[in-house]
Amino acid sequence: MVLSLNDLPEEILHSILLFCRPSDTCALERTARRFQGATNEQLLWRIYCRTHFKFWAQWHDMPTKLSSPVLAVDWKALYRSRHVVDVATTRLLDSILISQTGRIEKFRSVISFGYDAKDSLLRNLSISSEAEDHLARRYYAKALLTCLHRSIAIPEWASLRNGDEIPLANALGAFDLFIPESRYGNFDEINGSLDEILTRLCTEYPDIQDLSSRGQASVIASYLRTHNLIGIDSEREYHCLEHNFLGLALDDPGHNSLPLVSAVIYCHMAQRLGLNARPCGFPFHVHVIVIPRPGFDIDGNVLHHGSTGEPIYMDPFRSDQETPVADLKAQLSFLGASAVEQSAFLGESRASEIVSRCSKNVLNSLQRINHFSGARLVPVDPGCARYAALWSSLLFSNPLRPAELEQHLFLLLELLATDFSSDIHLIEQYIAPIFRGTMEFEHLMESLHVIRTVDEIPKQVKRRTPQLKGVSYHVGQVFRHRRYNYVAIITGWDTECGAGEQWMRRMGVDRLQSGRHQSFYHVIVEDKSVRYVAEENVQIIAPDISQLPPSLVAVAGKYFKRWDSVSRRFVSNIEDEYPDN
Amino acid sequence: MAETNNQELTFTSSDGKNMKVPRDVAERSLLIKNMLEDLGDATEAIPIPNVSENVLTKVLEWCTHHRNDPPTTGDEDDSRRKTTDIEEWDQKFMQVDQEMLFEIILAANYLDIKPLLDIGCKTVANMIKGKSPEEIRKTFNIQNDFTPEEEDQIRRENEWAEE
Repeated sequence: MVLSLNDLPEEILHSILLFCRPSDTCALERTARRFQGATNEQLLWRIYCRTHFKFWAQWHDMPTKLSSPVLAVDWKALYRSRHVVDVATTRLLDSILISQTGRIEKFRSVISFGYDAKDSLLRNLSISSEAEDHLARRYYAKALLTCLHRSIAIPEWASLRNGDEIPLANALGAFDLFIPESRYGNFDEINGSLDEILTRLCTEYPDIQDLSSRGQASVIASYLRTHNLIGIDSEREYHCLEHNFLGLALDDPGHNSLPLVSAVIYCHMAQRLGLNARPCGFPFHVHVIVIPRPGFDIDGNVLHHGSTGEPIYMDPFRSDQETPVADLKAQLSFLGASAVEQSAFLGESRASEIVSRCSKNVLNSLQRINHFSGARLVPVDPGCARYAALWSSLLFSNPLRPAELEQHLFLLLELLATDFSSDIHLIEQYIAPIFRGTMEFEHLMESLHVIRTVDEIPKQVKRRTPQLKGVSYHVGQVFRHRRYNYVAIITGWDTECGAGEQWMRRMGVDRLQSGRHQSFYHVIVEDKSVRYVAEENVQIIAPDISQLPPSLVAVAGKYFKRWDSVSRRFVSNIEDEYPDN
Repeated sequence: MAETNNQELTFTSSDGKNMKVPRDVAERSLLIKNMLEDLGDATEAIPIPNVSENVLTKVLEWCTHHRNDPPTTGDEDDSRRKTTDIEEWDQKFMQVDQEMLFEIILAANYLDIKPLLDIGCKTVANMIKGKSPEEIRKTFNIQNDFTPEEEDQIRRENEWAEE
């Protein structure tokens, strides 16, 4: 008899199947009874789950599954459901790319998959430049991914707002989930990075658990400072936008962070080691308050029944020494704080106050961005940072300041309409209830309704008919603005100025040489802003792709499939609106 | 060290043929390596009862070509499984008829030569890759022993995996 695949023992079939793709394994299963066993082995499917998918939605509770006996989990069924989601995610993305209509619901469907969508999105995000729609695919995969991360961040803030206890690292880490530049997409990842630091700390100080609270407080500060994990390098601009983000601080080689972020890193270590350490609401500069264990003083001495030990204050951003409380009180007196205010400033901050404070810091940094030299090199997308700050401000704002609330809502809706319309369901779920019963509520609901309607109605098709002469340029062409000199891409046109009378008056359209009766172009600029330009100001250029700013090429994906190096234009992905470009 | 490497061993195949093998080549087989460590020096011929001469010759050809490879750690490394790439020499080496391919796999398994076993398994995996069940049956001469009802049911159960 000739030796064949049938004759191999199960263990060798298993080894072969390890190198097979799951679809091939399923095909082999269908050939004959002989292969039923090896192709359905749970261990094999457990390995497939692990090697084919890196990210799993929280509801799978993978850590528990992975630590269970292999046979306690139906790994093949799990693989199957995960695979189905993966395929569905890519299909939804395909469908988002094909039509401008109905994108909001498609986004929502992807987001409903939670972290299960992430592998598929990352694959699409890193698609090769050979793909005919790579710019659009990357753009929308990234938009979906950041939307997915935000929809993990926002419910965490919402539960904090509802009075639930959440870890400080989550409260502050939520800001990172708004920032595409941060590699963090959920709270486990952020906590994981912090815990790695803790592990190293414990390796360096193996007997830290034997120290008194005071001793531990000082060892943590000294460890974090010696290893340069907190604080800001002296030559760096204090208010840099990126210093506000916990995850960026953890990943940045210099680990630069504002006092607030440094304090949260410190508190994470301290709390994991069993200390009662929290940021303290001291004005201008966040400190950390460490409260002794009940029944003991800070040095671990037993106290008389009923008395409580005095806390100590740490300033890990600046020092590994504790800050004498007398110094803090003196500063507060100097600032004119009353006794009641003093005790509030010296008390612990709630997590919601930390978020609020970070929100203000971010807005503050954004305001200063234009003052820095090389502002364009900021490694954080200012739009996303602003969006995070506005969300947190609205969720944790002081209801006693309605004007600020109203202004932030206005700014948030502006961003929603231009860059984040995918988040409309998040606004409906978490922002709308805040305004119910106020004057703004109607306006808010109206804005959301408009965004949804625009998304649901197919675009009006604009063809180039023989009668239509005045429109000289095409969707996808790149031009330099004759007056303002910026480079932009044409994304649409009108035969004459289609903006409202008010806008035309404000912009002085009638002072243009050809006035309002010339063709006007919708354009996208490298800073992601969308503008409306008269034909007389358009000076078409035919650049090489390498001459265009990378940010412009990235944002081009919103409207275009790819760059065509022959015609030196972007290839339209909005042909449902401009079939003739 | 060079001395032990140069030492020559004798293998006896299942069909009773004796073959001379340099020790470093023989030690690509963890079975042999561990045995030699236990025995100290092997002065007598070592019987390889499961492997016939023509297969053993082929396996030793592989071991000779790979005699200077770094030793395998035996880790069940996930990244190892991700690729079914096979280096060029090994690909040529594996261009044999199916019977010989399976013989090599069985011998590599018995002799505990993990990298050779992997290459054999990858070769088979690549032969399965992308094929329909019918094409797989044809490739490996597999007899379909399902009833039409069973076949239909399994097809439906596996529909999700079709590309």
